[in-house]
Amino acid sequence: MFQRKLLLVFTLLTVLAMGMALPVAGQDMATSVECGADGYVGNLQSIEVLDDMTVKFTLCNPDPAFGSKAAFNAFPIQSSEYLESTGGGGDLVRSPIGTGPYRLQNWDLGNEMVLTRFDDYWGEPAREETVILRWNSEAAARLVELQAGNIDGMAGVGTGDFEVVEADPNLTLIPGAITNVFYLGLNNTKPPLDNVMVRQAIAHALDRQRIVDNFYPEGSVVATQFMPPVLFGYTDEVEPLEFNVELANQMLDEAGFPRGDNGVRFELPLNYRDVVRVYLPTPGIVGADIQAQLAEVGIQLNIEQMESGAFLDASDAGELSVYLLGWGMDYPDATNFLDFHFGGGASDQFGTKFDEIIGPLNVGAQSGDVDVRYQAYIEANTALRDLVPMVPVAHGTSGDAWNARVDGAYAAAVGTTKFALMEDTEDDNIIYMQNAEPISLYCADETDGETFRACGQISESLLDYEPETGEVVPALATSWEVNDDATEWTFTLREGVMFHDGTTLDAGDVYNSYMAWWDASSPYHVGRDGNFTYFSAFFGGFLNAPATE
Amino acid sequence: MELEQRAGVPVALRATDTVQLKEKPDNPWRSTLRTLLRNRSAVLGMSIIAGLILIAIFAPVIATHDPLLSMIGIPGEVPPFPRKPPCIPLFGCEEPQHILGLDLNGRDLFSRIVYGARVSLFVGMTAVTFAITVGTVIGLVSGYAGGWVDNIIMRFMDVMLAFPGLLLAITIVTIRGPGLENALLAIAIVSIPVYARLTRASVLSVKEAEFITAERALGANHTRIIFRHILPNSFTPIIVQGALGVGGAVLEAAALAFLGLGAQPPTPEWGQILSESRNYVFTAPHMVFFPGIAIMITVLGFNLFGDGLRDVLDPQLRGR
Amino acid sequence: MSNFLVRRLVSSIPVLFGILLVTFVLNRSIPGDPCRAVLGERATAAICDAYMERYGLNEPIPVQFVYYLRNVLQGDLGTSLRFGRTVTELLAERLPVTIELAICALFVAVIAGIPLGILSAYRRNSAVDVSTMLFANVGVSMPVFWLGLMLAYFFGVILKDTVFALPPSGRLTAGANPTPFFIAWGVIDDPRQASNLLLFLSRFNILNAILTLNVNLFLDAARHLLLPAVAVGTIPLAIVARMTRSSLLDALGQDYTRTARAKGLRELAVVVRHAVRNSLLPVVTIIGLSFGGLVSGAVLTETIFGFSGIGRTLVDGITARDYTLVQGVTLVTAVTFVVINLIVDILYGYLDPRIRLS
Repeated sequence: MFQRKLLLVFTLLTVLAMGMALPVAGQDMATSVECGADGYVGNLQSIEVLDDMTVKFTLCNPDPAFGSKAAFNAFPIQSSEYLESTGGGGDLVRSPIGTGPYRLQNWDLGNEMVLTRFDDYWGEPAREETVILRWNSEAAARLVELQAGNIDGMAGVGTGDFEVVEADPNLTLIPGAITNVFYLGLNNTKPPLDNVMVRQAIAHALDRQRIVDNFYPEGSVVATQFMPPVLFGYTDEVEPLEFNVELANQMLDEAGFPRGDNGVRFELPLNYRDVVRVYLPTPGIVGADIQAQLAEVGIQLNIEQMESGAFLDASDAGELSVYLLGWGMDYPDATNFLDFHFGGGASDQFGTKFDEIIGPLNVGAQSGDVDVRYQAYIEANTALRDLVPMVPVAHGTSGDAWNARVDGAYAAAVGTTKFALMEDTEDDNIIYMQNAEPISLYCADETDGETFRACGQISESLLDYEPETGEVVPALATSWEVNDDATEWTFTLREGVMFHDGTTLDAGDVYNSYMAWWDASSPYHVGRDGNFTYFSAFFGGFLNAPATE
Repeated sequence: MELEQRAGVPVALRATDTVQLKEKPDNPWRSTLRTLLRNRSAVLGMSIIAGLILIAIFAPVIATHDPLLSMIGIPGEVPPFPRKPPCIPLFGCEEPQHILGLDLNGRDLFSRIVYGARVSLFVGMTAVTFAITVGTVIGLVSGYAGGWVDNIIMRFMDVMLAFPGLLLAITIVTIRGPGLENALLAIAIVSIPVYARLTRASVLSVKEAEFITAERALGANHTRIIFRHILPNSFTPIIVQGALGVGGAVLEAAALAFLGLGAQPPTPEWGQILSESRNYVFTAPHMVFFPGIAIMITVLGFNLFGDGLRDVLDPQLRGR
Repeated sequence: MSNFLVRRLVSSIPVLFGILLVTFVLNRSIPGDPCRAVLGERATAAICDAYMERYGLNEPIPVQFVYYLRNVLQGDLGTSLRFGRTVTELLAERLPVTIELAICALFVAVIAGIPLGILSAYRRNSAVDVSTMLFANVGVSMPVFWLGLMLAYFFGVILKDTVFALPPSGRLTAGANPTPFFIAWGVIDDPRQASNLLLFLSRFNILNAILTLNVNLFLDAARHLLLPAVAVGTIPLAIVARMTRSSLLDALGQDYTRTARAKGLRELAVVVRHAVRNSLLPVVTIIGLSFGGLVSGAVLTETIFGFSGIGRTLVDGITARDYTLVQGVTLVTAVTFVVINLIVDILYGYLDPRIRLS
């Protein structure tokens, strides 16, 4: 409590001293909090401006993935002046001022968004003058637009349309990276799933190859672990449970579930939501196939489709028995997959948690030593295979389709695909059609990919991801230093970075941007709806968060 | 007195609200049937409906495959498994096992569409029966009781009618969770007001008729008056509306399924087949085309029958 | 007449209140809360609690209703939970899309339906009549979304490289970037300062094209509207054709037409003379009749043709538990419905003296 009051006094004094204005570089900019005190649950301990071009973040607990997180789209650095003049919301949300290669020219709401090249960009200037973003929720309609030549590129080729795109000499298919996992959740508190042999039998009964071959786009692969193969911690040393119907039947017999007269051993509900994701492009179809496959070993699944929100709530609360769900990567680190689902702080979605899994995960999350981490993840993945809280089924891929005349078309493995690297060889714009309209252009307060794609052209974060490997690379910060136990992160900013309004980037912008997200009592903690979901999800919580009873 | 239209079926409430009391013919059913058989559209409609009912009953005989069986991994089946194009012998196709091709799960589309007739007829007829039953009771109570009871009930019906039907149905299904039963219930609830108002209008037109006043003076009780005199008089518009309503219900079920709120897999329901394959319309149009045609023929059958019935039973309403 | 008007308006009030109440209760009965839908899948329980608290969604439902009612009476439809913008603003942005589509659909229905109806009546029981009426029956039997998909496939893919090709989705060609008329006229410089009413008007592409005398924009918008308008308009078209035919046939059977015929007027002249007055009734009726169908049709058609109109927004709003948005849109839809019906009833009184305004 004392700490919080002190902070409040400090903030008040600062505000008074500067007449409600945000601090500018050169002034004293540092905020810190006592970890764990006063209901503060966040992992961020302090943010300090060391000099005009240096910012230091201190964490309560080690986080080797902090750099990865700082590169994420949801932490775009804003100009202090603009943050102040917009009050952290309003125009900041609708007509942003960033440092990116494109700036917003016009957003014709409901119709399209037009971006134009920012000529004073610090890096390579965008190759194409104009980018036009459009949207349509139907993959088939997007493809027709592309084939008709109305657009240059499209997101998310439909599962059945991969062959069409490949067969069309005017089009190029750009397969997306594999950055997700689709799994069959098995809740170990729901009998007969409380019997580990039953869960293992289900894993043996599932022909995952058949699912991937028939219902996933080309390039998708069978999942053997709960993380995509590109991630550190994935290992071939963990052999998956093999597909073997006979063995599955035998195990179910041994577990004490003989077939009844109708050939059914037991019935379970199978839940899913009808939401298309890269990890599960056709939920109903895959659901029906899993239903048919498990019927072979005498398990009758009754499909109950649920509304998306209700489904997620129910799975988090551990109310579902068997369900189809998946996870798409936010930042390239094993913790984003494993800890979130199986760590000590995970939800009850798989029932009772296993110490055999939590143990190695804690080792992996808090060590800076590569070998120690690798061993820990092998151990965790082995335990996951044997205890079967879920059966990993597939790593789905999506594909972008581009008109062949667009040069440099690619799809980023992690983060946003940058249109600045492409050029339409025949005219001076790139027209790209995605799934949905961006909700806003202040991505600190957003969560969906369509919105991130738009923001990612306009605004930039401290760091960035290498397009192919997802490795963290410099962006607004040219370099960063981290101490041995990964609790202190110091970023050195790039010189001469200009915002779209002509102001230059300094450490104050970084400080003020982060403070607007971190400090829930800040007058600039506004955004579109003020939830800053990713900040809170990645860094544990807000400073001065209002108490909820 | 609003006019409302539900999923393509016009309901001229105004006309039926002012329905006139008719003299009873000597043998109403036989003469009706005779006229009906002379009405071209009614005969065509009845033939279609009869055909569909036969298909539904004999689905296991007509279907070439188990509608739930995936061809994936079945010996002797040739790829491509999902989305195999139709193979119609008439057009010189060599491999006739799958006349209409395979669906996204590798199941025989022809068999699924044949079995789909069961689901659609069931949904259409059950929803309408339910709506008629509830609607008639509400209309009877409202019209017979009159006064503030009537007022409250009818205002509530007005509220329901002020929602576009599909939106109300979507909301109801979202509340109760997607599924065939809930879709059926939603469709039924949404069409209740139509039947309630029709019944009420008939009740009002009969209530003050001389023979009712006479009966009442003779001491007949309410039940007798309602069942002997009022109900039979409201049948005509209700039956006509009911026949048209089945078509509307089939369309609404398809629309709900299209939005993912109708029948759940693996049920072979036409709207559901359409919905799951709509993203393949440009690559495998057969999966969208055939179930759409099936829906259209079914709805056409009931609409033609309903129109014919209306012409025959209620010449005054023709075309309105 | 004025007496009737007043009575109708007064009797609409409880209906409107009922609509408000029913929408509110139905919305809150949907399982799940808006948090996940709005904040995304990464939102944790703690984030959700804070969210519900902030928007007063933890209050008892009757309390929330009273607050909402008070705001609506003050003309405040609230702020959309999902978009973080006022519902009024969203309506100004998206309602024109749907209205434009609906008007074009009705236009298609009327200009094609009436001649077809007249033709069938004139050549009753001929092959033309039978095929027109069969077409009308088929028209009302097709699922709107299926027709939309098939039209998009046919005109967008099969006829792709011919002169008949039509755009399969969208409202305008990419980069069309129309100038709102108030900017073209120099009334306002920055669209962000325009009132909701001006924005509302400028979002009708056809109207905006006419006001800014932009022929290319007009043609582009019309080309994009054609397929969806045909998809939504087919059912009203079929109904208009049927009603025109039957009301004409009724009129032709009347004594006075027999007199006209006896006077030696040619059949076609008789038909056409009566056509005008007798086809007005079906047209007026169809506008009242079609409202529910147009909105329902728009929901599905907007999905297929990628229009961000009010129909699609509403369905998304229901699944996203965007209570304020759904309530606001439903209220506006219902009020429109009540008003349209009032107008239709008044027109009826003028067109058909047989119908008393009682």
